[in-house]
Amino acid sequence: MGNLSFLAIGPEIILFAAALVVLIGHVGFGWGPRAWAGISAAAFVAATGLSWLQWLRVDDLGGGALYYSFDEIDTVVLPMVVMDHFSAFAGMLIFVVTGLALAAGWNLVRSFESRGAEFVALVLISVTGMHLMASSANLIMLFIGLETASISLYIVAGFDREHRNSDEAAMKYFLTGSFASAVFIYGVALAFAAFGSTSLYGANSIEEGWPLVGGRILENPGVMLAAVAFIIVGLGFKVSAAPFHQWAPDVYQGAPGGAVGLMASGVKVEGFAAMARIFAGAMDVPELREDWSSALAAIAALSIVVGTALAIAQTDFKRMLAYSGVAHAGFILTSVVAGVEGVPAMWFYLATYAFQLVGAFTIAAVVSGPRGGASAIKEYSGLYERAPILAGSLAVLMMAMAGFPITAGFVGKIGVFQAAAANGYLWLVVLGVVAAAAGLFFYLRVIVVMFFEPVAAEAPGTARAPLQAPRITLTVILVTVAVTVLFGLVPWPLLNWVQWAVPL
Amino acid sequence: MGEAAFPTLALLVLLPVAGALVISAVPRRHEGLIFPLSVALSATPLAVALYVLWEFETGEAGFQFNQQVSWFEPWGVSWNVEIDGISLLLVVLTAVLFPLSLLASASIRKNIKMYMIAMLVLETGLFGAFLSLDLLVFFVFFELTLIPMYLLIGMWGSGRRVYAAIKFVLYTALGSGILLAGIIFLAVAGADQLGGITFDYRQLVNLDLSSGTQTWLFLAFGVAFAIKVPLFPFHTWLPDAHTEAPTAASVLLAGVLLKLGTYGLLRFNLGLFPDATVRLAPWLAGLAVIGIIYGAVVAIAQPDVKRLVAYSSVSHLGFIVLGIFALTSQSLQGGVLQMVNHGLTTGALFLLIGMLYDRRHTREIADYGGLARVMPLFAAFFLFTAFASIGLPGLNGFIGEFKILLGSYVTLPGHAIVAAFGVILAAVYLLWAYERMFTGPVSNPENEGLNDLSGREIAIIVPIAILIVFLGIYPKPALDRIEPSVELILDRIELVTDHQIPAPGRIVDVAGMEAGE
Repeated sequence: MGNLSFLAIGPEIILFAAALVVLIGHVGFGWGPRAWAGISAAAFVAATGLSWLQWLRVDDLGGGALYYSFDEIDTVVLPMVVMDHFSAFAGMLIFVVTGLALAAGWNLVRSFESRGAEFVALVLISVTGMHLMASSANLIMLFIGLETASISLYIVAGFDREHRNSDEAAMKYFLTGSFASAVFIYGVALAFAAFGSTSLYGANSIEEGWPLVGGRILENPGVMLAAVAFIIVGLGFKVSAAPFHQWAPDVYQGAPGGAVGLMASGVKVEGFAAMARIFAGAMDVPELREDWSSALAAIAALSIVVGTALAIAQTDFKRMLAYSGVAHAGFILTSVVAGVEGVPAMWFYLATYAFQLVGAFTIAAVVSGPRGGASAIKEYSGLYERAPILAGSLAVLMMAMAGFPITAGFVGKIGVFQAAAANGYLWLVVLGVVAAAAGLFFYLRVIVVMFFEPVAAEAPGTARAPLQAPRITLTVILVTVAVTVLFGLVPWPLLNWVQWAVPL
Repeated sequence: MGEAAFPTLALLVLLPVAGALVISAVPRRHEGLIFPLSVALSATPLAVALYVLWEFETGEAGFQFNQQVSWFEPWGVSWNVEIDGISLLLVVLTAVLFPLSLLASASIRKNIKMYMIAMLVLETGLFGAFLSLDLLVFFVFFELTLIPMYLLIGMWGSGRRVYAAIKFVLYTALGSGILLAGIIFLAVAGADQLGGITFDYRQLVNLDLSSGTQTWLFLAFGVAFAIKVPLFPFHTWLPDAHTEAPTAASVLLAGVLLKLGTYGLLRFNLGLFPDATVRLAPWLAGLAVIGIIYGAVVAIAQPDVKRLVAYSSVSHLGFIVLGIFALTSQSLQGGVLQMVNHGLTTGALFLLIGMLYDRRHTREIADYGGLARVMPLFAAFFLFTAFASIGLPGLNGFIGEFKILLGSYVTLPGHAIVAAFGVILAAVYLLWAYERMFTGPVSNPENEGLNDLSGREIAIIVPIAILIVFLGIYPKPALDRIEPSVELILDRIELVTDHQIPAPGRIVDVAGMEAGE
């Protein structure tokens, strides 16, 4: 079996190389923003294209392939990277979404002047890590991806050094994030103790089965349960599921406005990709399923309730989106509890939600400025009169997040609920629909403010003027809205597609 | 069952939204075009609806104009629009009320483009909900009606419009959330028996569900529809929404949107959960009777005439729900007919009140008095509509309420007797309001210079008046189309439960049988 494939880690190579080229080009040859834009755009397009090639290659292979870091070490050789439909789809999603988000926040990059090169490089490196998480075949590899993505994003969150909020956000993100990473790696260590391996896939070949749930599983049930619990906690932090969500509102609010969409959507996608890879993929076996599935269901329920309840109380738009993101994490977990059958529903929800997040945070960055932090909902009053296109777009995105029909949000919710109902989690579905209805309250409030209220008198003088967004930013917003409506009206192509994107 | 026939019903559903696209393309400098263009565009579905009415096979119980296209196999979702006698009348009612409501929107100035688009999208939602036999697609259209109505109330409403709009959406959305859970559970629960998940009503009807499951699902569907109707005690959103909505939205809310609730109860609760229906029917009928009396009593006390009519809707819709859950052919026919009747009469009342509001910008009954002297034509139409609403013989309201009471007396005599008082109370609140607003001398000098109805306003109200009279003296064409479809639902209830439905026209026999035993 071919053990090394440049195709399998091609996107990572390209993105990481692009990051280095941007840095070196800037320092060594004085390349400006135009060059960074060209290089990063080319890298994103190439990475997306490579993911597409991966998908086609997996079709040829008839299922996917595992790749090893070493050809042979004594007798046991464990795979490190897996190339399957799951990783290819994750790649395309991550690259398209984060690429769009970076483009939308390009005025932020420019505002950092010469430091912008570092910003672009950090984003490229974090995206490398995100995809590595989705395509790792080993928990250690997954951890490397997680840290690569996270550490870059800690710096991105604190990139606006002049703003105290940005510092605070970075510090909080760093502390809670490192704590989560530590918990996760502890879980990996316990998994090694329980299973005798950190590999998600069999030694030597796919056919040899699942080493994680090998012979030692019943000897160490306690250690195994602890491993599952720690891994859930670690990844729960990343996707901001309750009760591990406290960092999200502060970070979303404090980080530079133009970077939040990228951070929020990218981290959600990588986190859930890792969860699905570990639980719905490797651990979806009868002996283990009950344990992680009920734990995830409990977290899902808690996230839905806590996220919805706290979002109602918010007066800041970004904090509201952060808490609603907690609820969305709960909804997405509703599909992960269904195991491998729920993965297509997870992808549909996650993919469309990622676009909605990028769109909503991009609009927030237009309203409060690319470096702006706080974004009071009051600031949006009369937005319909100041910028009808932005207000209309945000209204569509809000309706989609609320799960209204003819938006992709509705189809996504149907999918995750159906997956949960079919796997015996009816109570979670009932909780979900009731929370979704309650969630309308805070999504509608944004629409009320934008459409029904006049431009706020107490807003700063500049806020009354018609809003101007750079053309690229406006384009990204319209793309996210188009995706949201298109997959709401005609969801079948994407639904059919994600049926295939299950972990090997 | 003409396969591959022309998709008439799909055309009906899509025409309004196509119209909305046309409106959205009208450039800002031609804003004056939007009003006449929208009225004309909203008349195109009426033409199709009349064609459907013409081609409809009277006496046929099942669904017609069938069109089923699978949308997404793994989820068992299909585009499945069909029409039977029940939906036929509601579709025609919708098609009639929309052009009239748009014609009545001449006073809208602010953002007329968005107003008209919201209206046309609303029309598509209503057609889709009445015609879809796929539960998930039905739900999509059911929900689709919410947003335009929310915008209509919130942007063009009066007074506490934002509060009313949010209350309306939150109430209804909570109900639909539960409905969605019910729909998903039904499809998942039925997957074993039907060999795969499906949302097709005609397949789900054949499910054999345990009586416990049926009860839960009945309640899930029932709560959603009861909020929409609204059935006491879920009615509190209605007075606010009706009162603050702009005229056309009130007309459509009362005229058609509420009927989504009664239609849903009839089609889905009775159709899908016969066992639970038989067991729970007396309770729902009881709530309906409470609503009849409560709505009427509260209406008497209202100082605001629009609120008065809003509460009268709670009462009238109570009659319809009573008719549905009395489970006799007579009462169900009456219920369906009354859905149309209430749409026409209450729609007309809201239109008339809107015309008055356009002139005086107040809805307080106390601000008026002696209007019959300054606006004789208006007063005549108001009195005529009030009579229809009360149920004066010879006008449409009489037929519907009479059939409901007649039919429900057979199965639920106690309910029917109490409900009959609602008819008397209706006379009290409407005629008393008429007396205070129209009779006597002109008490408020501000009312002296009011103009009587304009040509446009007469053109709005006369078609409704004609239909009111037509259905009042010759309801047979409508009943002939309703009866077979209603009987089909009852036949099925009789087939799968041990409940005996009294046969139509056998009221005397039933009484005789009881006497003989």
